[in-house]
Amino acid sequence: MSVARRTFIQLGAGATVGILFTPTVWKALDDVSIWTQNWPWIPKLKYGAVEAKPTVSKMCESGCAVKVRTVAGEAFGTMGNVDNPLSGGGICPLCANGVQVKNSPNRIKAPMLDGQEISWEKAQEVVAEKLAAAGSKVAVISGDQTGTVNEVFSALLNDKGSDAFYVMPCDMQAADKAWTGLMGGAGQVGYDLEGADLVLLAGADALESWGPTVANLKSFAANESGKFIFAGPMQTKTASVTSKWVPVPAEGMAAFTLGLAYYVLQAGKTVGAADFDLFRSMVMSEYSPAKVEAATGVKADQMAALAKQLLTASNPVVVPAGPVAAHGAAFALNLLLGGAMKALPEFAKAIPSAMSRSEMLRADILDGVNTDLLFVYEANPAYALPEKIKAGFTVAFDMVQTETTATANLVLPSLHPYERFDDLASPYGLAAATYSLGVPVSKPSVNAANAATFILGLADLGFETFEEVLGAKVDAIGADMDALQGGEAFVVEGETPVAASLAANVLGKAAVPVKGTGAVGLVPYTLLSVGTANRATTPNAPCTISNNQLVGDHMVVMMGSATAKQLGVSVGSMVKLSGGKGECEALVQIFEGVMPGVVAAPLGLGHTVGDEFSKGKGDNVYKILTVSSEAAAGASTWAGSTVNVAKI
Amino acid sequence: MSHFKEFKIKWGMVIDIDKCTGCGACMVGCQVENNIAPMTKSDPYNYVQALTKPRDDASNKLRTLTWMNVYELSNGKSFPEHETAYLPRPCMQCGNPACVPVCPVVATDKNEEGGIVSQIYPRCIGCRYCMAACPYHARYFNWWDPLWPEGMDKGLSPSTSVRPRGVVEKCNFCHSRYLEAKDKARLDGEDPMNLPEGAYTTACADICPTKAITFGDLNNPEHKVHELIQSPNAFRLLEKLGLHPQVYYMSEREWVRKQGDNYNAEAGGHH
Ligand code: SF4
Ligand code: SF4
Repeated sequence: MSVARRTFIQLGAGATVGILFTPTVWKALDDVSIWTQNWPWIPKLKYGAVEAKPTVSKMCESGCAVKVRTVAGEAFGTMGNVDNPLSGGGICPLCANGVQVKNSPNRIKAPMLDGQEISWEKAQEVVAEKLAAAGSKVAVISGDQTGTVNEVFSALLNDKGSDAFYVMPCDMQAADKAWTGLMGGAGQVGYDLEGADLVLLAGADALESWGPTVANLKSFAANESGKFIFAGPMQTKTASVTSKWVPVPAEGMAAFTLGLAYYVLQAGKTVGAADFDLFRSMVMSEYSPAKVEAATGVKADQMAALAKQLLTASNPVVVPAGPVAAHGAAFALNLLLGGAMKALPEFAKAIPSAMSRSEMLRADILDGVNTDLLFVYEANPAYALPEKIKAGFTVAFDMVQTETTATANLVLPSLHPYERFDDLASPYGLAAATYSLGVPVSKPSVNAANAATFILGLADLGFETFEEVLGAKVDAIGADMDALQGGEAFVVEGETPVAASLAANVLGKAAVPVKGTGAVGLVPYTLLSVGTANRATTPNAPCTISNNQLVGDHMVVMMGSATAKQLGVSVGSMVKLSGGKGECEALVQIFEGVMPGVVAAPLGLGHTVGDEFSKGKGDNVYKILTVSSEAAAGASTWAGSTVNVAKI
Repeated sequence: MSHFKEFKIKWGMVIDIDKCTGCGACMVGCQVENNIAPMTKSDPYNYVQALTKPRDDASNKLRTLTWMNVYELSNGKSFPEHETAYLPRPCMQCGNPACVPVCPVVATDKNEEGGIVSQIYPRCIGCRYCMAACPYHARYFNWWDPLWPEGMDKGLSPSTSVRPRGVVEKCNFCHSRYLEAKDKARLDGEDPMNLPEGAYTTACADICPTKAITFGDLNNPEHKVHELIQSPNAFRLLEKLGLHPQVYYMSEREWVRKQGDNYNAEAGGHH
């Protein structure tokens, strides 16, 4: 019997309907997708006990208290540490990717001398030889602001008769120069962001990259009654959550702050400092609202309203950033207001011959470094300070390859913070002296070593290993080792700050805005998702970088529509920015949260060395910053940088 | 026709926009928790690389894979009246999801207690109907094989298996954490259907340094979210579409609330 066409169609239709009403088709599709999805390169997961081990992260200069999440002993993630006041449970985007940096192929795998792999013993020999030859012409650049590792390096310098200890330019340094240098204050300045009822962030983008960012964010979240106000040249991410943004040019911040002090003095506030009368008459004559308005463009009535808010607050605080003068002006204003600024005691040293923190902050790296032997510890001056550093022989310690390790003579791989002993003493900005300890929570994945232990092998500093130094530190400060290892912090409350002088002489001269000669002002800003001067974008962060910073591989600069009109550019224009001794390329984005006459550019892009997540993305804004001298304050600053913008 | 299904437990989020600084920690935390590979340009398994186009890396925002995404909002005014805000956007776990009915192979569903919209990857045939249907752009097609540069796959999270190329992915409120929390409750002799505040939370809420994200059971009066959503400042995105999102937002700023509702707050969209 032949099957008629009609029967065939009927059969077919029946079969189809049948399939649709049985689960077979779903199962079949399931199987098909499983088999097409089962490729050998899809990694299998590791199973086992999941733990969270407390330690410290040194991904940024301040550092943070974290917990490292492990599965069967292998680290896979990072979370905050609720038991530590530095964290409050949250972390920043840099720390969030800490493990991924640890496992990155960009890790330096072994000591390298002029590009050749060598043993640690050989490295020790080479450095010992260079040290002997250099005499006192030895310098250190440290990218760590809070670690006792700095004591080890500075003790080595002391042993060699050198005091050339440099930190990368930072607000902690400007604050120290103003507070202990110019004003005769004692201790480290801190700001009680949690306890203040009015916080004026005078240039400090505290909720995105300034100071101990995570601790700041935590204080911001915990401060229910406080009002936060941001003053600065652009509406930063910090400004997006403060109740107000007051546009003030970066170079005008000191004058603006003294303009506020004018009203505060007028209200009869006094403070017991030797030069109070001088300060008062200097401010009343030189920083009258009209004069400040003329110099900075900030309206007098706006300053009057702000000053009134500061005066009516019961516990206000002004948090500065930028040049030394801006810090001095803010400290003077805080002293007059008597609010939530604190002076933190310095923790006792572990190594007696080491420098104090204030001594470590003294040398001005922007003035340039010229030495025979240079140690660079987890910093990237070849990227952020091009042309400033000259050394006969450079030894660079880092976990990952950077512009600095690429140009150093000897590269020594340091352990990742999750693999090593480390510590965090009073990150700048906190209101209390706070000490936290880091312990290895993961096995080293490369042939790395503890940099401080390596240094201890070069000179007799009284310790064999860094672990011993940390033990001595914990003893010296009177903390409990077990509690610290358990992730708790040792905390000593800050005190009411007292200054010998208000630096009237210096501020009278230094607070006047100094601006370069370029067509527009340059506002460089830092986002932790993009990276810092020392750390490039982390592997998972590129998708978090918005198209206000990066489009494809092009850097984006932001400006208001008025500025764009003035420059003859529009959204998407490709421009060349020239300033300092260099040039940058960028696309233009219109963002009305940038003051007229300035262009905002993200720091941290444009790496030429590193992994595929950071290399070749955008351009390096450090190239176009101009160093200007704060002559009266005896310091250098990048504030007041200007650029010329040309369409290309 | 409404697919609205009520659940005894309704996990949800309240995101306080006035606290979010747009730092992106939640996005990174989400990728780490859920084994979303960092996007790489080259593929060591592609032996004909020279003949094919390079993979997109994360600079190409059209093809990124971010279950959590942070959007930047602007009030649209010019200097100095300009204001800006940040809006983190996970999957809304809609009560009446647009993505579910369009899936031809039932790879996505909202059935389990807790009201989380599931995505069953081995079932997904990558047709992307759900992506087209989701008005929140919360679903992502994974264009590329998940590759971790050499050595980086050591640090994979044990929570979520790695999805192959060609399927649609989405946030599931870190569902594995929910399962773990329920298991733990059972072991401790507690009621897994009545988890206390904090026993189950998502990676993004956990990591957020300003605690802009609060997570909990919207139906449970003992959970903070239950109270937060009563606030006059609380709103849901595109509420007028009737998808009943389980993610709420909060802002004291009117312009933010208006934008969240697609400029339609006065038009009766805001319940
Ligand atoms: S982690 Fe918190 S503050 Fe940061 S972007 Fe996400 S929600 Fe916003
Ligand atoms: S947000 Fe989109 S993907 Fe998530 S449940 Fe709603 S419709 Fe589905």
